[in-house]
Amino acid sequence: MFDYHHFPVIAVMILFLGAFLVEIFGAKNKAVRNTIAIVVAGISTVCIYALIKPVFFDGEVISYWMGNWAPVSGYAIGIGYEVDALNLFFALLTVTTFFLSGIYSIRYMEKDEHLGHYYTLFLMLSGGVLGLVLTGDVFNMFVMIEIMTFAAVALTAFRNRSFGALEGAFKYLALGSIGSSMTLAGIAVLYMSCHTLNMAQLSSILGSQPLNPTTVFAFALMFAGLAVKAFIVPFHTPAADAYMVAPTSVSMMFSGMVNKAGVYGMIRLCYTIFHAMDQSSLQILLVAFGCVTMFVGVTMALAQHDFKRLLAFHSISQIGYVITAIGLSTAVGLSAGLFHAMNHTLFKGLLFLTAGAVLKATGTTNLDKLGGLSKKMPLTTICFLVGAFSISGLPPFNGFASKWMVYQAAYAKAVTTGNFFYAVVTIVAVVVSVMTLASFIKVTQACFFGQCPDSLKDTKEVPFSMRLPMWILSVACLASGVFYNFVYEKVLYPAMVATLNTVKYIDSMMGAGYSAAAGVQNHLVDAPRLSVWDPISWLLLFVICLVAICLVVVLGDKTRGRLSDAEGEPQDGKYATFFGGEHALHSHVGGSDLFWGFKKDFKGYFNVVQGAHDGNVNTYASWVVIATAVIAIFMVIFVK
Amino acid sequence: MYDILMILFHVLVFPGLLFVCVIGLLLAGIDRKVLARMQKRVGPPIVQPWYDFLKLMGKETIVPSNANRAVFLGAPVVGLSSLIVMMLFIPIFGYSAFSGSADLIVILYLLTIPAVCLIVGGSSSGSPYAGIGISREMVTMMAYEFPLIIALLSVAKVVGGETLVFSMRSIANWQLSNGCLIAHWALIPAALAFLLIIPAEVGTQPFDVAEAETEICEGPLVEYSGAPLGVFKLNTAIKMFIMTGLFTTLFLGGIDTGMVWLNAIIYVAISIVLTVLTMTIPHAICARLKIEKLFKFYWTIVAGLALLSLILVWFGL
Repeated sequence: MFDYHHFPVIAVMILFLGAFLVEIFGAKNKAVRNTIAIVVAGISTVCIYALIKPVFFDGEVISYWMGNWAPVSGYAIGIGYEVDALNLFFALLTVTTFFLSGIYSIRYMEKDEHLGHYYTLFLMLSGGVLGLVLTGDVFNMFVMIEIMTFAAVALTAFRNRSFGALEGAFKYLALGSIGSSMTLAGIAVLYMSCHTLNMAQLSSILGSQPLNPTTVFAFALMFAGLAVKAFIVPFHTPAADAYMVAPTSVSMMFSGMVNKAGVYGMIRLCYTIFHAMDQSSLQILLVAFGCVTMFVGVTMALAQHDFKRLLAFHSISQIGYVITAIGLSTAVGLSAGLFHAMNHTLFKGLLFLTAGAVLKATGTTNLDKLGGLSKKMPLTTICFLVGAFSISGLPPFNGFASKWMVYQAAYAKAVTTGNFFYAVVTIVAVVVSVMTLASFIKVTQACFFGQCPDSLKDTKEVPFSMRLPMWILSVACLASGVFYNFVYEKVLYPAMVATLNTVKYIDSMMGAGYSAAAGVQNHLVDAPRLSVWDPISWLLLFVICLVAICLVVVLGDKTRGRLSDAEGEPQDGKYATFFGGEHALHSHVGGSDLFWGFKKDFKGYFNVVQGAHDGNVNTYASWVVIATAVIAIFMVIFVK
Repeated sequence: MYDILMILFHVLVFPGLLFVCVIGLLLAGIDRKVLARMQKRVGPPIVQPWYDFLKLMGKETIVPSNANRAVFLGAPVVGLSSLIVMMLFIPIFGYSAFSGSADLIVILYLLTIPAVCLIVGGSSSGSPYAGIGISREMVTMMAYEFPLIIALLSVAKVVGGETLVFSMRSIANWQLSNGCLIAHWALIPAALAFLLIIPAEVGTQPFDVAEAETEICEGPLVEYSGAPLGVFKLNTAIKMFIMTGLFTTLFLGGIDTGMVWLNAIIYVAISIVLTVLTMTIPHAICARLKIEKLFKFYWTIVAGLALLSLILVWFGL
């Protein structure tokens, strides 16, 4: 009935249409506003999910020329949308994120004013990101980056009466604009030397000859511009403030899709357009950036006192894993990077939603003021623990599967190339994973367990429409970890092959035989399937053990009447916390009290890194400019 | 049907629940006895940990009013099951219960689960002593994971050469044909580092900062009583066996008498020797370290040893 070739464009356009409809009809009426936003986001989601069968299962690449401006004598003139498995992979992450965020927003944002503007910006941001990951045209990509950045800035400042909102938005605006300008400059230089803006045609022109300094310079500028969007260290500075002060439903979108859009852009740029990922210099550049990003991100996270700010630094750190993995430029590494990107969307979305639930229920995300919420919000606590275990990579959750692939890929690269650098990368990745665990233990202790301060005695669990997205994401975290072979076969493998198969990308857009005529070949043709161990059998075993032992211990004890807790019992000293004979005062061990030994040993490092993050936009802007200059010099010298 | 029975046998009897419980508590008993003899005490009988465990299983379990009941009671059993699963995948010389074998990274992460269970369980009890204890446990974990991964990567490099080998089974098989890995002299520093990691992983003195009875009343365990406490004590005992066994599998493999039970006896005998060597003797002669000293020790000396090994094997020595 419907021709699915139109779905990508419909999915993007309906979001922009919805943005205007909300502003026109929904400014006053709450029901109209919510209905438009959810329906529009739902249609877009359905359109993208409907593409799974043709693109992932049948291996088709959907190309779509706007207004039917097909190429004339081998030159692309119009704007084209091209959806292969890689685009669709990121589009799926995007639609999942904004759809769940939309459901969550209904109750989460109910107390705010000017919600018409909120949903307008919300849909603009969604449309911008979705357009960015689906487009096949670099200038269109720039336009979408701009829409995305400005919607994101406005949403950051949405609660502009709360502390720091305007400051966060200003930082994001300043640095985001620098990033966008660099992308634009890169595109201009590229257009000057290749005379086209279509990605497929650019790829065919750049792939048929060695890169010259001009195109490499354009590459460096676009690389840096997209790095700002992906929040890679040292371009990461706006992320921390923006994620913290934005409404949590928006923070979830930032970490679930906005920085993924940057990652997508970098993959497209390095693998498809510039055919540069088989050069060891670029691999080392990406892996080095990834490593620094994950380490700085996690150590900064360890020092935070705010739940959302801590999560923001973890977003940066996890993107470091993704960049490291895709920089390895092997089949396993690329799948690992994509898998971790997907898992990051799931578990970080979940964690932001639990942070939002805490904020909604208690009015603060300051870890030093929270405590003991697990008795008040048991369901949120369980969701948080699922998210925390996933991000820390404990089996059987999904973070373990993707981190396992990252280590596997990094060490395989190390032993096959004999390069000690990659062995160090593997070690850093493992250590960062442990530090991630530490920092989530800190949140667990400071926020959910321990003693409840008197000011939080009346805390209530959040409403159902806020819990539903959390449950969906929790189940997704567990399912994609346990059935990781299924995810790998059906989703990651096609996406990984599509990334490496540049010839098919060019030919689907420009007509069959176009790449052969230009002399483009796939540099990285080798894409073996990963088959090392089958986690399902032993994870099921784990579950069996667990169930058996739980039954024996918990039920067995209950029937014998040897288990007693404070429910319904008189409050006597038997159930009180042990204080060594002292009078039981409120003595909660908060987040800042933890990990003393570690912090003391790393005092020098923490002083330097925290001192460097001085909150001054000038400093941050200079980091961006210096890092761009370094990238440009490195690339012009080493990338051929 | 036969398969299911075999799986149940492996999970519940050998090398699963029953086997690790018996051997783990045996090691704990030997540890206590030898320690007592070193301190010129008579010491408890070897089966004392068994008596303690059975007694705790029969005691009343009190859930404190500040605790989260499900997490408080669930944490010890999750830790126990992860230990059992780990034992199923560690080859006992040539023998492992399941043909699909786990690899070093899986073992590394399964090893963290019991520690995380202790942390989460302690944290959920709501006690400030537990708060301090979990903080120290986490720092200890960060301290030993760093040298541990380097030691594991060194082993993988020797076995794999130019290819990637992480599988425990391949490491065991490699030793069966090429002799045990400790004979490879470049790996001796890594083996030493691993031996130094064992007491921290198990949490015995001088690395028991997390549970320091004399300062913070057993930290995470302060609110535990009855069966959950018994399971936590059992976990510690099983960890003794798993860590010493892991050392045997990684560095002292290559012994095959052709009989599973004889192999298992040799394996246990090596575990007993290693327990005395790595846990009892340091316990008898060293005082408890402070947490920042512990961290520094692992990130400098132990990590240095492991790194030395990695560099040596990297350049083909």
